[in-house]
Amino acid sequence: MKRKLCLILSLVLVLTALMAGCSKNEQPVDSEGEQGEKQEDVSNANNPAAKRDSASDTLVVGMSETKGDFMPVYSSTTYDGYVVDLIFDRLYSNDKEGNPIPQLAEKWETSDDHLTYTFYLRKDVKFSDDTPLTANDVEFTYLSMCDPNYDGRYLSYVSGLKGYEAYHDGDAEKVEGIKVIDDHTISFTFNEALSTNFWYTEIPVMPKHIYNFEKGDIKTLKAKMQKPIGSGPYKLTKYEEKQYIEFEANENYFLNAPKVPKLILKFTTAETMMSELEAGTTDVQLQVPPRSEHKEIVENAGFLNIVEFPDNGYGYMGINHRDPRLADKNVRQALMYGFNRQQFADVYYQGYATACNVPISTVSWAYTEDINKYEYNPEKAIELLEASGWKPGADGIREKDGKRLDFVWDTYTESKYVEALIPMLKADWEKIGVKVEANLMDFNALVEKVYEKREFDMYNMAWDLSIDPDAYDLFHTSVDVPSGNNAPGFRNEENDRLLEEGRREFDQDKRAEIYKEWGKLVNDELPYLFLTSNLHWDVVNNRVKNFNTSPFQKFNNREVLLDIELQ
Amino acid sequence: MLKYIVRRILHLIPVIIVISVLIFGIIQLAPGDPVGANLDPKATAEQRQAERERLGLNDPIHIQYLKWAGRSIKGDFGDSYIYKRPVKDVIPKFMWNSFLLNIVVYLFAFAISIPIGIICATKQYSKVDNFWTVFSIIGISMPSFFFGLLLIYFFSIKFKIFPINGMVTPGKNAIGFARVKDILYHMVLPAIVLTIGSMASLVRYTRTSTLEVINQDYIRTARSKGLEEKVVIYKHAFRNALIPIVTIVGFQIPGLFSGAVILEKVFIWPGIGNIMMDSITMRDYNLMMALNMFFALLTLLGNLFADIGYALVDPRIKVE
Repeated sequence: MKRKLCLILSLVLVLTALMAGCSKNEQPVDSEGEQGEKQEDVSNANNPAAKRDSASDTLVVGMSETKGDFMPVYSSTTYDGYVVDLIFDRLYSNDKEGNPIPQLAEKWETSDDHLTYTFYLRKDVKFSDDTPLTANDVEFTYLSMCDPNYDGRYLSYVSGLKGYEAYHDGDAEKVEGIKVIDDHTISFTFNEALSTNFWYTEIPVMPKHIYNFEKGDIKTLKAKMQKPIGSGPYKLTKYEEKQYIEFEANENYFLNAPKVPKLILKFTTAETMMSELEAGTTDVQLQVPPRSEHKEIVENAGFLNIVEFPDNGYGYMGINHRDPRLADKNVRQALMYGFNRQQFADVYYQGYATACNVPISTVSWAYTEDINKYEYNPEKAIELLEASGWKPGADGIREKDGKRLDFVWDTYTESKYVEALIPMLKADWEKIGVKVEANLMDFNALVEKVYEKREFDMYNMAWDLSIDPDAYDLFHTSVDVPSGNNAPGFRNEENDRLLEEGRREFDQDKRAEIYKEWGKLVNDELPYLFLTSNLHWDVVNNRVKNFNTSPFQKFNNREVLLDIELQ
Repeated sequence: MLKYIVRRILHLIPVIIVISVLIFGIIQLAPGDPVGANLDPKATAEQRQAERERLGLNDPIHIQYLKWAGRSIKGDFGDSYIYKRPVKDVIPKFMWNSFLLNIVVYLFAFAISIPIGIICATKQYSKVDNFWTVFSIIGISMPSFFFGLLLIYFFSIKFKIFPINGMVTPGKNAIGFARVKDILYHMVLPAIVLTIGSMASLVRYTRTSTLEVINQDYIRTARSKGLEEKVVIYKHAFRNALIPIVTIVGFQIPGLFSGAVILEKVFIWPGIGNIMMDSITMRDYNLMMALNMFFALLTLLGNLFADIGYALVDPRIKVE
């Protein structure tokens, strides 16, 4: 018996060795990678995606799964948002720099008091059932968000509209601030003149004759969530939950029919997304984590390319400003200087990320380079701590007045990011005499601990950045309340003043000045310890042409989408 | 017999109530809530408060439970926060997808494992027995996600025989027989992983229980009175060896519907294990409660069937 067992075990060993061998074969990267790039224009002979059934007219895009909220006023994830954007149109879209450009609206104007935005719609737009799109449809879309029983996530888009309360809480039949002037003109009036209001008018337009419902009867609307009908470049033809969504081009699309007749969004997972690209079952994979093993696969395949740009977002460490130890600016700055963020970016993202120093996108008009980079400098960190009177105790941990720089860092489980961060942060901070202990919990539990109970020393999370640099909802003193977003409790008068001013200013150059000043302030005051911003990768098969995504233009942006071609 | 069954079913009622209280309590005790599921991450404190009020999370826990129980008895399990639809519209489709995969797996697993287990028992310590012993050890200890990825690597990427994941080929839109074929084709890899996983323990179980029976006195008696070995094993031993196996069959019934969380994720099989995981991470209380109660009920029914099965195969169990 023993001998047989040995035999089988050795078989298993051989098998493992073989597999290891297989993966080794893929390793010589550079030479083959270059070759792959040269082959780019040759043919589709080695391209498995080109051999797929109906490959010639179908583009398969891999992405994370959707929840099935295919309705502009209810969509709740980025990926449901992509689906909504393929089927519905917004009043305006944005160009590469993030400036609004016409889509449904030909032009728009702002009243002198900056309270009212008036949009002039194109007259040639039809929904896919041939009904013309009018201002009434825009009004309907916004009324559905004002509905007393509306439970979607876009409340903030309408709550600032004039007459919102009267409609939402009373029995008004219309919202005073939404005015249909004629079939192709509509205006939105807000209670307060804020430059950020403009972006609240961007919800894609839903056809009233399809989705209409009695005020209060939101169930009727929600029931139609998975059978979307809009005016957009694609029509949804099939939705297989948890698997894929199939679209067909809208030949009559008012901005030219898309060049790709059929589009499939296939739901992929981190484990197999690269395999699908290699096997050619997907043509594009959105949001591939930027890592060198993925780059290797791309280079070895020879028919894949990476579209790379800075991701609009940043990871941060939230710190409790109510804690006297962390209320000390020197301590906050010392923690920044004392952590080698670049090394973390190099190790975890293998260099495809940079240290983040300010919560503003590096491609934004509000970004300034004139800030402290907080390059790793443990001596400087120690100097700052000493200056504030934090002296090493018996065990090397700094202390002052009986308080020790010994923190509990609440973080979340099942994240490779966190797993890489823990040992590096601990080791770096230990060198400057700061102790940190990671306390892992499930993400939802962390959210409660941070935002509801607000009992923490520090925690880490991440934010996405919008086109507008306004961050009033995150850092202003008024949102330092339970469940509010300023959970760290950062309070600073100058910060409040700049955030308020930034929203009230309408001239973009002047706003840029305000936000640059604000950027410098938060860079110095550190409401958060900023960690890293990574790159965004879309991996694209080279039979797909013009997949030109960028920070503010994802593939659903019309300037990108309508240009995409298959070879 | 009928009386026995009715009484057993009546016994289930208090058990179900206790289970529901426990599950409800545990779910509510876990930190975190579903408030964030539908809100903008930048939602204000007032918006969060309003959402909590709307979901009824501000009520004391016993009121919440009574409300839930009152609704559930009437068959209304509430809306899923994630899917924004009534829970009872969400579950069935995923459940049948899991069922489809699992029924195939179980049929194969039982059909293969029971004969193998018996052969192993009759030829204890032979080459065949040793082979299956090692096989079982590997089968039990191999993590299913790893085995799944291994199969994907070889059969989908290297040899391109089977699809990487999913349940149907996107864009194919096959109907009728072609669709059945497409689904079966997608089912092969996950089914292999699951079958080998459950075979391993089934073989061991059958082997052990058969061995136990074979060593009994009455088997020796049967042999000594000159019966053929085949008759001894398959007529006298088998039926008795079957008793513990019936228990397993009963216990496996909930598994038919519940799906395999990890494996369904790896193969993107749109089954119930997949939504179970989502409901937990998002704290979708209504969906979690409905799923857990459903599984609890299935387990209880599985037990019930096992007991009834006992009564049928084991004449020693007397039904009063």
